[in-house]
Amino acid sequence: MNALHLMAELIFMPLIAFIVGMMMVLMMRKIAARLQRRIGPPFFQPLYDIVKLYGKDTQISHGLIHDIGIIMAVGGYIGAEILLPVPGMEGIAAKGGVITLSYFLMIPSLGMALGVGQCANPNGSIGISRALTAMLAYDIPFILVVFGAAWHYQSTSLIGMIEYQQMHQWGIVEMPLLAIAGLFALQGMLGKQPFEIYIAPAEIATGPMVEMSGKYMGGLFVMQTFQLYTAGVLYASLFLGGGTSFLTLLPKAFLVVALPMSIAFMFPRYKTEDVIRILWKWPVMLALISLAFIL
Amino acid sequence: MKKELKIIQKERTNPLAHVFDDFISFCQSKSLFMLHYCTGCGAIELPPAMTSRFDMERLGIQPMVTPRQADILLITGYVSIKTLKRVILTYEQMQSPKYVIGICSCTVNGGMYWQSYATAKKLNEYMPVDVYIAGCMPRPEAVMEGLQRLKDNIRNDKKEHKGSAWKDYFNRYDYYLGNQQALFGDDWQTPTDIIAEAKLYDLETEETYGKHTKLLEKHQTPLLPQEMRIK
Amino acid sequence: MTFLDHLFIVVFISLIAISALRNLRIVDKLAPVLYGLILIMLVRMSSVAYGGDVYLSSVSLDLLDFKMHWQFTALSWYFAIITVVAALASAVFMSGDWGRQYREQGGNYGMLQLALIVNVFSMILLLGSGDLLSLFIGWEFVSWASFLMMVLSPTKLAKKSAVKYIVYAMTGAMALMVAIVMIYSVNNSLEFKQIGEVFTQMSTSSQLALVLLFFVAFAIKMGLLPFHLWQAIAYAETPGPGAAFLGAISSRMGMFTIVLVIVQFIGLGGLKQLGISFVNMQTLLAWVAALTTIIPTYIALQQHDAKRLLAWHGVGQGGYMLLGIIMFDSIGSAGGLMHVLNHASYQAALFMTVVAVMYRTGTSDLNKLGGLVTQMPLTFLVMLIGIIGLAGLPPMNGFVSKWLVYRSLLVNGQPLLFVAAVLGTLGTILSVYKLIHNTFLGQLRLEHQNVREVPWSMLVPMLGLSIIVFITGFMPGLILPWIASVQESVGLPVIAHHLGGIEYAKGGLDMIWVSGILFYGFGVGALIFYFLGGKSKRVHQYDNYAGGHFLTSDVRYHYSNNFYPGLMHLIGGWYRGSFKWLENSIVSVVSFFSIFFENIYRAKQPVMLLLIGVVLALFALYRNLGVGA
Repeated sequence: MNALHLMAELIFMPLIAFIVGMMMVLMMRKIAARLQRRIGPPFFQPLYDIVKLYGKDTQISHGLIHDIGIIMAVGGYIGAEILLPVPGMEGIAAKGGVITLSYFLMIPSLGMALGVGQCANPNGSIGISRALTAMLAYDIPFILVVFGAAWHYQSTSLIGMIEYQQMHQWGIVEMPLLAIAGLFALQGMLGKQPFEIYIAPAEIATGPMVEMSGKYMGGLFVMQTFQLYTAGVLYASLFLGGGTSFLTLLPKAFLVVALPMSIAFMFPRYKTEDVIRILWKWPVMLALISLAFIL
Repeated sequence: MKKELKIIQKERTNPLAHVFDDFISFCQSKSLFMLHYCTGCGAIELPPAMTSRFDMERLGIQPMVTPRQADILLITGYVSIKTLKRVILTYEQMQSPKYVIGICSCTVNGGMYWQSYATAKKLNEYMPVDVYIAGCMPRPEAVMEGLQRLKDNIRNDKKEHKGSAWKDYFNRYDYYLGNQQALFGDDWQTPTDIIAEAKLYDLETEETYGKHTKLLEKHQTPLLPQEMRIK
Repeated sequence: MTFLDHLFIVVFISLIAISALRNLRIVDKLAPVLYGLILIMLVRMSSVAYGGDVYLSSVSLDLLDFKMHWQFTALSWYFAIITVVAALASAVFMSGDWGRQYREQGGNYGMLQLALIVNVFSMILLLGSGDLLSLFIGWEFVSWASFLMMVLSPTKLAKKSAVKYIVYAMTGAMALMVAIVMIYSVNNSLEFKQIGEVFTQMSTSSQLALVLLFFVAFAIKMGLLPFHLWQAIAYAETPGPGAAFLGAISSRMGMFTIVLVIVQFIGLGGLKQLGISFVNMQTLLAWVAALTTIIPTYIALQQHDAKRLLAWHGVGQGGYMLLGIIMFDSIGSAGGLMHVLNHASYQAALFMTVVAVMYRTGTSDLNKLGGLVTQMPLTFLVMLIGIIGLAGLPPMNGFVSKWLVYRSLLVNGQPLLFVAAVLGTLGTILSVYKLIHNTFLGQLRLEHQNVREVPWSMLVPMLGLSIIVFITGFMPGLILPWIASVQESVGLPVIAHHLGGIEYAKGGLDMIWVSGILFYGFGVGALIFYFLGGKSKRVHQYDNYAGGHFLTSDVRYHYSNNFYPGLMHLIGGWYRGSFKWLENSIVSVVSFFSIFFENIYRAKQPVMLLLIGVVLALFALYRNLGVGA
């Protein structure tokens, strides 16, 4: 890897993630709208929202940590995108692997949690307390899924996993139960209904976002695009064979993100303890059964 | 009685500044987050405007929950004195550019509560209102029409200075504060320091200050941000 | 005279000097200098940590028939450097204003200094032990030295928990002594290498007994399940920097002896042959480790006192160390060993931040703090670095050692242990966020408006430790050669390392790249934040969304009590206190018997006793006479 190539990857991997992520946001809002028999937002709506938020004339800060929290939230994801290999751009995926990536993904959450804490708003703190509890809930099945995949492919590097699947079969064919458990965990990870107790707009005023204005909120919107992209591409790489080019990878990633949204509106919002209960029961059970087959 | 608005034009050195400004105001008109302060019966007209019949989201308007995130403050009915305090607090906690829409006749002139001792008649005496949607109650079509008008105003802000009514609150703070003090008493104070904000964002004029702000200073409990101190 | 002799002499002189001068003011400044000297002595011996020869002491004692001698291997050196750096940091921390305040509040500062040097002395004696007898003597010294530190606090609870500790410690010492006797009875020798030889000669049941006795002794010191109850409260009640020192390293002496005895001489083969198929001693110990990561961590989550929260995490993190080392492969054992240093660095720093907050506010109750970040930003920074390390997130050092442990569990195909380890980590994240949120974030209390940052004498050791936390996370290759020598000296497979991390087929780790990318991300994030957005205005904490409510100082607008209600609602019922119940019932049984025997000894009715004695004697005499006739 020469320096120029690395530079290009450092710039383009997050940029592609951002653009694709915005399209995913659009897709999710469109799906929601269509399910409610609405037309939904125009094509560039995610971009308008972000530009508008960054273009605000005035905005408030509750202190330095509030600012740093947002920087960590966006910056952590920018770093994570570089650890996430996509066709033609492997970044530094080989230096970390999937365990590093899954811990990397906690940095933005920690950053956001710090920023929200500094806001001194109890709604935000309640939201973070619920978000961390939800993280405890969905990370157990998620980590089992990662373990199973890494064991099955005999590699902790996503590149190795994709190569294996290109040579053999897709992971979803070889490990269907594990893939279903992964989808379950994904629903919690993306914070879609029924697992959106930590946003709960009508109850705790969007929880973590309660005091976010202007570019702070914009930062969280950017973070959301990265989050969707990461979830989609990670799942596609683990179970859907990744892709040899963006043309084969992106449809899979979009499909992965579309699924949780499509079923989200069937559910009410679960209480925090029910979120844990359901995520520790069904996906964990599926993953363990699947692991029994794999090991 | 309303004076000509004073728009402060800063010196822009960047040759592309106007392109950027146009782009941003375009995006601002295309993306509006709305906080509805549902005081009265007008709120019932909002669900149809949001849901499948009229679908606000296709105009880029979506509801938000806290004033920090919102661009539009939608006041949907009569404003009692007690409510008005909260409305002003909420308005001041919103971040500029911010727009106020008064729905129903009650916000225009008190409507059927005109004779009530406890109702503030004209909303625009206490905060700059961008669009009034009159009616008792206005149909969702009228609400959509009003929102469209607001969007056009924001788009054409450069030419007609219609979309920056919010600056008036900073530019002529003394006037609004005077009306508020007349209603709530001399020791009226919100947690938001409007004068400091006007100073920080170059929005102050000579009419920002006056006898009412002097009165505020006398009664004000200082609310300076916590400074980070190493020693 | 070898370097090791110099080390012992310097430590001994320090002990004498501090105990002689402990009531004078000069001891404040003298103690850090002495610890610095000890550190220099250790650094002179650093060749041992890079694969050099073992240092032998030229002193040896003949006691009865036993020959006691001392030596410093890579393992001893590794633990010794952690001990001395922790002691140095603690000594600097208490040398200035903290010590003054402690004296003013009636604390016995001289005794605290003395307790610290006694601890260091005894630990170095233990680490330098060259045979089982010197090991046992060092072990006893360490136990009593910790006790000395713990009883310094005047509270009743501290005394009670110190006594509880010493009961546990004596139980452990007895177990150790029995194990040593078992070894001695076979070959009449107390050399370390006898353990391995004797072990192979023993029957399976004796092997099992030996391993269990050793493990019980060491597990008690380390606070592993089911012996975890004594540690947290005892450490939390220890005054200030003493708690930082004890929390950082004291209980890791158990880890040292586990590596020294169980890993080195009994080994994987020895553990695996005890048991049937996959249920063997190794899996048993691994599950003890896994449960130790989970249960104390979730007890920590319940705490609302910052020191106790940290102390419970100290118990929990011990599980990772054992979990790593018990895998017996190169990466797992490296992770377990490395976690000792990493844990010591961030745990000491974290304890110091809590003590610093107590120094300024007088409380460590998490429900009575909040919003201190503006008043104590550097302490906040140290705590932030510390909690990232404790939670095991990149780029701090805790991530590296935990990554190694995870990787090893993955390679060995242990999904349940893996989940247990992750469950521990997630619980840690929840609990440390609660710690930093309730202390430094949220709303500042009215009574803390005038709180200031702590003085430099306290900041310097905290910042120094946090630099260690960061640097060893950024470049684990600084530590990994030591780990590799330790592995080599105890006969474990040696890890392949470079400056940034490890090389491993099928996925290694390079922390320089990982941290570099993280900071690149933060840089881009900062660019976006500062250049793409407009100016922001700092606002007062009462300028806050409250549904249109006007906030005032008389109504607290802060969320700290019962921070995870949803989780506690679900798992709260699982906190049954079974271990506490077990401990209490054992205590009841023992005290019942002790009262019974006490009554007999103390002789409520001496005449009756005399009568019984005479009757028995006569009876015996009669039998004897009868037999004779």
